[in-house]
Amino acid sequence: MAEVVEQPAPETAAGETGSELEALRQRLGPDIQIQHTVDGIPNLWVPRSRLLEVMGGLKKDYPLLFDLSAVDERVRSNRNGLPDADFTVFYHLISLEKNSDLRIKVALADSDSSLPSLTSVWPAANWYEREAYDMFGVNFEGHPNLYRILTPALWEGHPLRKEHPARATEMDPFRMTDELLDAQQESLRFKPEEWGMSRGAKHTDFMFLNLGPNHPSVHGVFRIALQLDGEVVVDAVPDIGYHHRGAEKMGERQSWHTYIPYTDRVDYLGGVMNNLPYVMAVEKMAGIEVPDRAKVIRIMMSEFFRIASHLLFFGTFAQDVGQMSPVFYMFADRERLFSIVEAITGGRMHPSWFRIGGVGQDLPEGWDTMVRDFVDYMPARVDHYDKMATQNGILKRRTIGVGQYDSAEAVEWGITGPGMRATGLDWDLRKKRPYGGYDQFDFEVPLAANGDCYDRCVVRVEEIRQSLRIIRQCLDNMPAGPYKADHPQATPPPKERTMQDIETLIQHFLNVSWGPVIPPSECSTMIEATKGWNSYYLTSDGGTMSYRTRIRTPSFPHLQMIPLISRGFMIADLIAIIASIDFVMADVDR
Amino acid sequence: MEWRLVKAEVDQPMESAEAIYQEQVAKGFLTAKLDDLVAWGRAHSLWPFNFGLSCCYVEMATALTSRHDMSRFGAEVIRATPRQADLIVIAGTVFRKMAPVVQHLYDQLLEPKWVISMGSCANSGGMFDIYSVVQGVDKFLPVDVYVPGCPPRPEALMQGLTLLQEAVKARPRPYSWIVGEDGEVSKYQPSQRDARTPARMRVTDLEEPAHVGDAPLSKELLRQKSPSPATPGRDGTGRRR
Repeated sequence: MAEVVEQPAPETAAGETGSELEALRQRLGPDIQIQHTVDGIPNLWVPRSRLLEVMGGLKKDYPLLFDLSAVDERVRSNRNGLPDADFTVFYHLISLEKNSDLRIKVALADSDSSLPSLTSVWPAANWYEREAYDMFGVNFEGHPNLYRILTPALWEGHPLRKEHPARATEMDPFRMTDELLDAQQESLRFKPEEWGMSRGAKHTDFMFLNLGPNHPSVHGVFRIALQLDGEVVVDAVPDIGYHHRGAEKMGERQSWHTYIPYTDRVDYLGGVMNNLPYVMAVEKMAGIEVPDRAKVIRIMMSEFFRIASHLLFFGTFAQDVGQMSPVFYMFADRERLFSIVEAITGGRMHPSWFRIGGVGQDLPEGWDTMVRDFVDYMPARVDHYDKMATQNGILKRRTIGVGQYDSAEAVEWGITGPGMRATGLDWDLRKKRPYGGYDQFDFEVPLAANGDCYDRCVVRVEEIRQSLRIIRQCLDNMPAGPYKADHPQATPPPKERTMQDIETLIQHFLNVSWGPVIPPSECSTMIEATKGWNSYYLTSDGGTMSYRTRIRTPSFPHLQMIPLISRGFMIADLIAIIASIDFVMADVDR
Repeated sequence: MEWRLVKAEVDQPMESAEAIYQEQVAKGFLTAKLDDLVAWGRAHSLWPFNFGLSCCYVEMATALTSRHDMSRFGAEVIRATPRQADLIVIAGTVFRKMAPVVQHLYDQLLEPKWVISMGSCANSGGMFDIYSVVQGVDKFLPVDVYVPGCPPRPEALMQGLTLLQEAVKARPRPYSWIVGEDGEVSKYQPSQRDARTPARMRVTDLEEPAHVGDAPLSKELLRQKSPSPATPGRDGTGRRR
């Protein structure tokens, strides 16, 4: 039994403590290899033959399947004693009770890249395995519908394999032909038999309705095939991938620094908050300590974007259940908020403003007045919207008791964020695993009890108030000092001294042109994003670019759960359910 | 109206033609070429299709809602079906998986129809030179106006709309194959970059954005503290739940 330790020693915040890991090792047997990564999460390499048995045993202690994907290991040079593998499939598990993580890895050979499906243990594994199949060509034996999920049905090749071209300009140019149109239309034809659905029951013929991919109420390019008995949803099959922008493949060709703008566009309502898990992961791998001022600025900007995102959710949610006016009020407030974001960062929706080691610039003069005006102004508005929308009788009747799930189901399906807290589960990463300085702030975690559409809305409205509280604390206690770490890997390096000495100039030139070199390591960092838990799992092979960038987004599992919570409801309720989930398709398909 | 009694006589016009014309003008009649009149009407009653692909759609929605309110320019309420719309704003990234759907929707728009390409992705693929993205919607749709930005601000979309309106007026499209020839009367469209370069070159002072007032929209907007309708909340007692 081997043990691979990556620098530095595992001081775990998230992972198992030493003694517990030892007990686990004893329990699982000698053919498990342990790897420590800089994020402190223990990695257990499990032989493929034992996967189902091991996972079945672990589920009791680690009930949340947080992530599942693969890595193409074939051209990785720094593997440092890890088991031989052409492909690695990894499973990220979380125990909420113990507040700890575990990553299970399975090594596969290219000639035999097949392993048992986990769908019998975790239903949530279904989409993740389809994605891994689509992106890597890994076969999951026993999966009920192992079809492509992100690329079109007619796609050739598996995009995240290293031999697949990354750029569109490396491939044949796109041409719209009649044959393509016909073939695509045919491939979109819904065939109920493929999904184990019958076309009729004893006294009824079901109707199959195609909702999307362009529909005003599906919030983006998202399609659901509905099996209907009259107006009642019998079953639903969500179809995603219309918004697949290849964000993970993009990470393999951008430098560590120039990838930041791509993170903004993952959850495109989250703005700079998307930068945070990415830069935190890179900083951990490079060993950069971020100065306090940068931390507080980051938190303040993240919370601004949480409010912006929740306001958009609130407005569109009210609109989808029939209220026309709230969305107009909320867009006006978003503009007020964006005026601050613009004054500070220069951008609106996608400022790409966080940097490895800090933020883009210092706060401008007069920022405090603007922010103070906003936090003085906004609470009364939230109260007003509460009265206008959430206390509205029609909205209540449309949403209370609709699309309900409980805490156990939330954990089973990997539901995180406000959707999880609406069931009463008190789990906010900012409290449970304070990252980036959140432990210094005084705020509450809003909870609800019923886990229905209404509660998901109420939780978000209260989160706006809590975010305002956090921003006020940032305002009152903004530390002085540098806004970027004094560290050779901080990018871009300080410009002031570049004209003074040649060493700094060279350093600046290299860090800007090639970008920083990050030591070979693996690290995953998760944050409480606007829509749930967002994590970046980065693998560095010691180069200027990431070897593998895995983005775990909250909306992906949230959409997977739609059939479960919409069966038996009317189509109009389904629209309320979709609105209450609060997703953007870029956060699903990446 | 001026009037007087005259004796009716055969072969004698009652008034001179000039006087009749002057009178009609005074009544508010307008004579124009049908082409111009229709083009003017079309330019100010565009019906955008409610269609969005990604991030840009959020800025498009911002342009449609309060503060910007794009319907001021005669692009009225967005329609949820392509069969009631004649303008499609390609707001966002055109994905290979989505492109046939976009084509399908475009085909269903009412004739004559116009296309605004909004944002870098729709213009050229932008920063997403990646296997799943079509490198610009003009690979398969005829684009009338390109709006740059990632995403463009709402003001940029509104400018794009007014440019489109000018183009609609300047380049009339046929009413129907029954009335006249098919195809559009094409006219050279000047590049906006070329048109603006002289003015931009005159800017010599570029200051570091060190103060919040340096942002175009910032302070003034925030200062417009509208009288809040929710006064009960201010004293802290208005909070419910």
